[in-house]
Amino acid sequence: MEMIKIINLHKSYDQLEVIKGIDLEIKSGEVVCIIGPSGSGKSTVLRCINRLETPTSGHIIVDGKDIMAPETDINHVRTEAGMVFQQFNLFPHMTVLDNVTLGPIKVRNMGKTDAEELGHSLLKKVGLADKAKNYPEQLSGGQKQRVAIARSLSLKPKVILFDEPTSALDPELVGEVLEVMKQLAAEGMTMVVVTHEMGFARDVADRVIFIDQGIIQEDNCPEQFFSSPKNKRLQDFLGKVAEH
Amino acid sequence: MEFQFDWPVFFETIPMLMRGLKFTIIITLGGLGAGFLLGAFFGLMKLARHAIPRTLAIIYIEAIRGTPMLVQAMFLYYGLPMALGLRIPPLTAGIIIIAVNSGAYIAEIVRGSVQSIDPGQAEAGRSIGLTRGKTMLYIIWPQAFKRMIPPLGNQFIISLKDTSLLMVIGVGELLRTGQEIVAVSYKAFEVYLAVAVVYLVMTLSIARGLRILENHLEMKTKR
Ligand SMILES: Nc1ncnc2c1ncn2[C@@H]1O[C@H](COP(=O)(O)OP(=O)(O)OP(=O)(O)O)[C@@H](O)[C@H]1O
Ligand SMILES: [Mg+2]
Repeated sequence: MEMIKIINLHKSYDQLEVIKGIDLEIKSGEVVCIIGPSGSGKSTVLRCINRLETPTSGHIIVDGKDIMAPETDINHVRTEAGMVFQQFNLFPHMTVLDNVTLGPIKVRNMGKTDAEELGHSLLKKVGLADKAKNYPEQLSGGQKQRVAIARSLSLKPKVILFDEPTSALDPELVGEVLEVMKQLAAEGMTMVVVTHEMGFARDVADRVIFIDQGIIQEDNCPEQFFSSPKNKRLQDFLGKVAEH
Repeated sequence: MEFQFDWPVFFETIPMLMRGLKFTIIITLGGLGAGFLLGAFFGLMKLARHAIPRTLAIIYIEAIRGTPMLVQAMFLYYGLPMALGLRIPPLTAGIIIIAVNSGAYIAEIVRGSVQSIDPGQAEAGRSIGLTRGKTMLYIIWPQAFKRMIPPLGNQFIISLKDTSLLMVIGVGELLRTGQEIVAVSYKAFEVYLAVAVVYLVMTLSIARGLRILENHLEMKTKR
């Protein structure tokens, strides 16, 4: 079954057309990595899926609901499609535990005790059980991003959208975040991951997508994608990445 | 005749000013309390998505900031009753004037502080399914409020000093009380100096209190 279905998505900012007709289907349990050069529209596609950006035209169906339909409760859709940001965006005025329990308490109307129990179990899952009472600024980048993952998990989403989750991290902290993401993938979470981590895409993704100039240039299984790319732009892109 | 500073008059004046001081404090606190509510309301309205609330907020803020408070006071106290046919007692009028006046400045403080919060915060709030209102209440406002404290403290001091203008509508506040004492004692130098000293003690205390509050809040999140 499709978890996400994108039909002929277009997005413009004023005169600038950034997404020029994207069609994409992501099945339940699939891990899809999106790669592409800077400014190609990767974040825009991802942010259209939970309507942080409003599509200019086209349809996006998340778990059977058309996110643009007037009767759709977008706040409900967002609990089904969690998001993890490059800059973490943790709430600095709240403890780690409060960051993770805010959604369950204020969105799901869960009681405080139940929410904290859930919060502690999610923090344990991401390896931060002992940081519950700390404030975000007392954590390393890798720890912050793991809290952010726990926060998005707190709504029990059906899919998580990751926008370059490791790009703001020091190299030695990337691994711990990718580990948590691998674990989620192994548990069957549907994941859409914009990333520059080619290793992660190769090892974990079911499909890898190359976006350039606002369209999908290649959509393939990781083996084909990396070893025998058909698209000329992708060949150039992979060549440039390999040089680094 | 040579001028001689009259110390006894100076010291006797200070306790006599306390009655006026009471009104100054009531008007400042009452006015600023209401002014904060007005400011929060119009400050958030100025950030609204719709043009109509935004325009209303702009009209209020610009009209107040673009005219002298003295004119606002005269208009409210002497002008408006002509049109509405009801007289507002001076104390109430004083509180309303300070509220309406400080509200416009506070609206800009609120707007600026809210806008200074990283948009990623609102996105994170919305991405876990919080409504716009709850995102404001639980995520943006608490962070913005901390940034409002220094400029609000500044406004506190400004409004406190502005209450002295209310003597023109007959509010028996500090300056007017001083003026009444001068009328009988003719010791303008000593009395107005005493009035100035009382204002200064208050403004310096507020500034001091604010610094302590800020340090306290700083500690609470840094720890
Ligand atoms: N709010 C906005 N207003 C105007 N233009 C925007 C806005 N957001 C993005 N853009 C433009 O849209 C294009 C695509 O941006 P997007 O962030 O989707 O790229 P990206 O592939 O995620 O790039 P990166 O790898 O740098 O994150 C860029 O040219 C960007 O400048
Ligand atoms: Mg991006």
